[in-house]
Amino acid sequence: MLQTIRERAQGWIAWAIVILISIPFALWGIQSYLGVGSEPVVAKVNSTEITEREFEQRYQQLRIRLREQLGAAFRPELFDDRVMRPQVLEQIISETLLLQVSHDMGLRASDAELRTAIMSNPSFQRDGRFARDAYERMLQLQGLNQVQYEEGLRQRIVGSQLERALIASELVTEHELKETLRLERQQRRLSYFRVPRADFVSDEPIGEDQIAAYYQANQDRFQVPERVRLRYLVLDASTMDPAQTPDEDSLRAAYEADVERFRRNEQRAVRHILVALPTDADSEAETDAKARIQAIRERILAGADFGAIARETSEDPGSAGQGGALGTFERGVMDPAFDRAAFALERGVLSEPVRSAFGYHLIEVTEVEEAQVRPFEEVRDELLAEASKRGAEGQFFEWAERLATLAYESPDSLEPAAEALGLELQTSEWLDRSGGEGILANRRVIGAAFSDEVLRQGLNSDVIEPEPQVLQAIVLRVAEHEEASARPLEQVRSEIVETLRAEQAAAAAQRVAEELAGRVRAGEPFAEVAGSYAVTDAGLVARDAAEVPDPIRSLAFTLPRPAEGATSVGSQVLPEGDAAVVVVSEIADGDLDALDAVVRAQQGRGLAQRTGSALFEDLLEDLQQRAKIERRPLRTVSGIE
Amino acid sequence: MSTYETDEEKVEAIKKWWKDNGISVIAGIAIGLGGVFGWRAWANYQEGVRQEASAAFEQLIAAADVEPAEAALARAQAIATDYGSTPYAALAQLMAARIASGKGDTQTARDALEAVIAKAPDPGIASIAALRLARLLLSTGQLDAARALVARHEGGGGFAGDFAAVRGDIAAAAGDPAEARRAYEQALAAGTANPELVQLKLDNLPPAG
Repeated sequence: MLQTIRERAQGWIAWAIVILISIPFALWGIQSYLGVGSEPVVAKVNSTEITEREFEQRYQQLRIRLREQLGAAFRPELFDDRVMRPQVLEQIISETLLLQVSHDMGLRASDAELRTAIMSNPSFQRDGRFARDAYERMLQLQGLNQVQYEEGLRQRIVGSQLERALIASELVTEHELKETLRLERQQRRLSYFRVPRADFVSDEPIGEDQIAAYYQANQDRFQVPERVRLRYLVLDASTMDPAQTPDEDSLRAAYEADVERFRRNEQRAVRHILVALPTDADSEAETDAKARIQAIRERILAGADFGAIARETSEDPGSAGQGGALGTFERGVMDPAFDRAAFALERGVLSEPVRSAFGYHLIEVTEVEEAQVRPFEEVRDELLAEASKRGAEGQFFEWAERLATLAYESPDSLEPAAEALGLELQTSEWLDRSGGEGILANRRVIGAAFSDEVLRQGLNSDVIEPEPQVLQAIVLRVAEHEEASARPLEQVRSEIVETLRAEQAAAAAQRVAEELAGRVRAGEPFAEVAGSYAVTDAGLVARDAAEVPDPIRSLAFTLPRPAEGATSVGSQVLPEGDAAVVVVSEIADGDLDALDAVVRAQQGRGLAQRTGSALFEDLLEDLQQRAKIERRPLRTVSGIE
Repeated sequence: MSTYETDEEKVEAIKKWWKDNGISVIAGIAIGLGGVFGWRAWANYQEGVRQEASAAFEQLIAAADVEPAEAALARAQAIATDYGSTPYAALAQLMAARIASGKGDTQTARDALEAVIAKAPDPGIASIAALRLARLLLSTGQLDAARALVARHEGGGGFAGDFAAVRGDIAAAAGDPAEARRAYEQALAAGTANPELVQLKLDNLPPAG
């Protein structure tokens, strides 16, 4: 039998078997190349998976960005996870899909675009120019290597290309522009009068059942939010007893230790005269300048006044007016050649001509202040102020630490801490989550007051330092707590009666206004119908005319177009409860031809921009409808902050 | 029975087999390797062409607002012919349509948009081109052609509202306010680019009946 197998094994069966066996070997481990991982996935867009890790990363980035943008206004409790997380996921899905479609379509970012994008990024520049080492350092800071960064950038360029293309290519026809401007710049001639609510307020009693029904239906309006009264201790460096004054010996020791700080180098007051000469001057100019400076020098040696000559001849615009005086400076500040000469001269001796980068100088030292160390007596007060500030700070931190320990060791009371540190135990007013005044307005303090440990478990809070720059600390506990509650009906009764009366009056005013509008519609003249109500003639009014109240204007612009010589009329409730009757007697359409070419072009571009970006949004929507997108339920992470 | 008696015989047999099949084996390997490298070279080449097209297209976007219309139009058309295998051809045609329509050359704009509809790299882009073409036809008074075009391309999807809005514009231009009202209401319900403007148009239709 083995023999037969061996014979057969020469033929095609053997080959088939070999091939079959080799397939699993060939494909072994291929999943690691295809990126089929076992990581948890939050969504799948066609074939691309969005892993939980990517999602969390994006989400955290967004939080950090928001925190940076909003600064102190960032309130973690407003950053609702349940709302934000799905939004961020939708954003990622949309981006992923766009990238996928762009890539499959064959859109690419060229090397040139990549280069431009990198070179024009201000964070990679020094002195306004791209600097390779700045680029590398920035990437290092972000923990990216160059290949990763450039790949990401390429994707961002591709991701925005379609949008830019669609907006740039949006066209606006003459017809459309005309139509749009006709409507947007339309004006309407309108008149109106108010039917005041006040005319319809009655004293008639309102039924108990009505009041009760309103109370039931509007529970939200009568809620008192959850509130607490706090007991708290405040530690404040500015009101703490100053630490004991440092004694003379320790001050002197501090002086000796830091004596270098009080050393003053030699200072010289110098005046000069300049004959300007650039460093690359030719020999002719050189000789000429030398001759001129020599001539000036001789005039001074002959007895002429230095200051007067400087004013007359010096080519240094900064100092010529001051008689050449440059003020006092120490060694190493000026041009090296100038510096050497100025610090080698005797006081009151005129120098030989000195060549610096600016030209030839004549220098004279007018004053010399020897190098010196400021004596202890002179700096004692400075040292004392520093030492007591340091002392107060040290004491503050020491006390804050003791406060933390004491508050932690007896978590059910602040009395021990108050006694041990001699702090006053204070009690606050009732506070809801919007906070109180002073230190109690701080969101971290209020956050702690309503935290689980403090509110529910009744423990002392941690020691909180609300502002990083201010040496102030607070520890608190809840003294009294009230859950959110509804104000009882008895308390809000008169409020409800008032509201119902106002509502009824407004409804009556509205009924009357509608009735009057009906009479105008039926053909009675507007002025006659208005009767004693004061009519306002607003004249021809544009859509954004601020002088006509908003609701009246929006009604006027949605009333049907009146026929020639006729009017269009309607009634409208105003926010304050009055009603208005509005009549439109003429419509003047916007006229494209009346606009000058610049405004016209601007309007056209604006319209194209709006249409183009809206079409891009619709394209994203369209892509999503055509794609296969799976969303897995998101884990909500509690733990804010 | 055993096939080979000695080692010499085996060597002989292998040599013979090689003599008979050697060329085919070498040819097979060569074709295989050639295929792999050829494919990669082709992919690389294509990648290069796409990148070149991308750069040219970016230049076109930048130039379209500053260059004279003639030059910009020529640039757009050059991309459309030179990079016909890439999606940039269609995007350049969209640009060409805008530039041509801006200088009043409706025919060129029309041709360009028709080319995009025929060869769009994504159905969504075809829809956008169809919308633009319909609006272009409307502005030149070819209402029937516009209506037919919209009917051909209108479907569900993200552009339903936009097509309805154009349908409304066509009906309004044709003096059929009832139809226009219906179309505008559909557009607002389905969501459209620039809903405020559609609302204005709706408010300004002559009253029905």
